[in-house]
Amino acid sequence: MITPEIIEIKTDVAVIGGGTAGLNCAMAAAESDCDVLVVEKANIVRSGAIAGGIDHFMAYMENGEDWDSREAYLGYVARVAKGASNLKIHEKVYCDELPAAIERIESLGISLRDPRYPNSQDFFRTQSMGQPGPYWINFDGKKLKPRMAREVNRRGCRVLNRVQVTNIFLHDGELAGFTGFDIRTGDFYLIHAKTIIISTGNTNRMFRTQNGNPFNLWYCPANTGDLHRAAYDAGVELANMEYVRMTIVTKGFSTPGFNAFFGMGCKLVNSLGESFTKNYHPMGDKAPRNVMVWGALQEIKEGRGPIYMDARHLSTEDLDHLFKTLGTDKDTLPDYLAAKGYLKDGAMIEMTVSEPMQARPSELCGAGIKIDENCASNVPGIYAAGDAADQMGCLHMCTAGGFAAGKAAAAYAGTVTKHHPVDMTAVRDERERVFKPLGRNSGLHYSEFENVVRIITSDHFGPIKTELSLNAALEKLDGIDGERNNLRATNLHELMRCHESSNIHQVAKIMAHAALVRKESRFAPYHYRADYLETDDDNYCGLIGISKGADGQAQTRFEPLEYPI
Amino acid sequence: MPAVISQTKCTGCGLCDLFCPIDVIHMEGDVAIMRYPDECWHCGACRLHCSKGAVTFEFPASMAGI
Ligand SMILES: Cc1cc2nc3c(=O)[nH]c(=O)nc-3n(C[C@H](O)[C@H](O)[C@H](O)COP(=O)(O)OP(=O)(O)OC[C@H]3O[C@@H](n4cnc5c(N)ncnc54)[C@H](O)[C@@H]3O)c2cc1C
Ligand code: SF4
Ligand code: SF4
Repeated sequence: MITPEIIEIKTDVAVIGGGTAGLNCAMAAAESDCDVLVVEKANIVRSGAIAGGIDHFMAYMENGEDWDSREAYLGYVARVAKGASNLKIHEKVYCDELPAAIERIESLGISLRDPRYPNSQDFFRTQSMGQPGPYWINFDGKKLKPRMAREVNRRGCRVLNRVQVTNIFLHDGELAGFTGFDIRTGDFYLIHAKTIIISTGNTNRMFRTQNGNPFNLWYCPANTGDLHRAAYDAGVELANMEYVRMTIVTKGFSTPGFNAFFGMGCKLVNSLGESFTKNYHPMGDKAPRNVMVWGALQEIKEGRGPIYMDARHLSTEDLDHLFKTLGTDKDTLPDYLAAKGYLKDGAMIEMTVSEPMQARPSELCGAGIKIDENCASNVPGIYAAGDAADQMGCLHMCTAGGFAAGKAAAAYAGTVTKHHPVDMTAVRDERERVFKPLGRNSGLHYSEFENVVRIITSDHFGPIKTELSLNAALEKLDGIDGERNNLRATNLHELMRCHESSNIHQVAKIMAHAALVRKESRFAPYHYRADYLETDDDNYCGLIGISKGADGQAQTRFEPLEYPI
Repeated sequence: MPAVISQTKCTGCGLCDLFCPIDVIHMEGDVAIMRYPDECWHCGACRLHCSKGAVTFEFPASMAGI
């Protein structure tokens, strides 16, 4: 085992996770007088969800059409994300910030204009996911992440790359600091901060995948709920944790592409060649994502699988653009489609349902740290943004809401006169905990442990669940606590993975606890209780808040949400 | 194999290692090595930053074959 020196750094605002949201947080906080530090597990130039590019930004644009107004958009949120999205927070972190977010992206030299024609000044807008009109702006975001990283550097933020944050420390119930280690050098850091913004994405690698490789995922495998777990242990309340998110992906390769396929007019068909989505929702292939996934699961279950993406009716121009934009979103998807032999003409691409993951049930909310209208959690000094927060997710909200969180956290830091002290005994204990797997000669390898977690979660709530299945999952997950505390690593890369696996395991328990309490089904199959099949708005239209009680056990509470329709 | 690095084309600039979001490429001496091929996310960041055209993608049977 190694026992490195404790390297101490002081900052006003620390952003944990330099992904899409985190970099927007940093840009905003840098506009204040605060010192800003970004701590990132990889390198902010290409880390997180949009490392390889992105191609859709959701926006209403007030262009005079009925569907294109703020009111119509909020009506859409109320319809599609009912029971999970808090409209007041949504307005504050998204609507109020939207025009500035669009301007900011373009000011970085990333055009949001029609990617099909050079120098176009028009937006190319497409419709899917239950939208009342074409809210998706299709654009070329291949360079968005590096440009944001450059801007964060230009604004004078300090950046610690390749540091995995491991735990949060409070003083008298308020934030004092956090620890992390460098995954290449083993340096151990204690960061004293007046405020932190947690923007570490959702939790992946938690469920079985279509081909057995836990890293072949739709979402970023480096996001493993590290800070969901750390925040929960520090007393932070989480919400929307019961939802298991899935999508439609190409068979053999889990990637995004849903917006592109359906936005460009593709049809999902079963193995009889029948378009089936209208059987599940009047909007057919333009239905909300969860309904499409539900329909696909039923077709497969009832023997009409495999399913296919039918692009045969698209014009040559649209097909060309479809294949191009698929590669903008997922750089290697065109290579894969070529390797599979799918020709652009007459393509019937075999699809399937992706692996489940811990994340938001809709593109109009989030899942994770429960935030208020100022992006603050219940613990003073701890803020959250992006996929790690319960009211944010997707590019549009991570960009707009990330900025809102950065502003609010910096304003809070401005009111804190001095840093709270951190208990150094606790920090030394944490250092010992962090490096312990390196000193073990026995114990499970992280991959073996993680596989056990995935079998339990997939069998018991991936995605279908009942009271019995959830209780059994919790019993089994508790039953491997001993193995989790005895993981073995032979180098720093494996050490990082050990902590990731351990966090995945603990977030899985939080999910199962939250899912037990929601005795209804909502956003099926994302929360599908086989023992409570109906959506029960009278009792469950709202958030399940989950936090760690004084006895160490999960405690939950229900917070109702109201909608005008 | 996922991202495959040509040892003859690689000039050792280190950018693929620096920017891989999953920490699967490591420099060994003057060349980049795909150290954890099973953990590759196929995000393409390594290829996007390789000016030598040294990175290509090969999809294993567990992906392209199913
Ligand atoms: C391939 C892909 C394509 C997508 N396409 C679209 C699209 O077209 N339109 C759309 O609206 N949405 C899209 N999405 C969703 C959208 O990109 C995400 O919701 C959004 O980027 C998430 O931003 P985030 O900052 O919350 O998380 P991320 O950008 O993933 O950032 C999280 C960061 O935290 C870091 N991190 C994790 N753990 C730690 C730790 N312990 N310590 C330090 N750092 C840590 C990670 O390395 C990462 O950099 C796509 C997602 C993917 C994966
Ligand atoms: S980016 Fe290309 S040239 Fe540079 S180290 Fe990687 S493979 Fe070699
Ligand atoms: S494709 Fe992405 S995950 Fe795979 S080696 Fe390249 S940068 Fe790393």
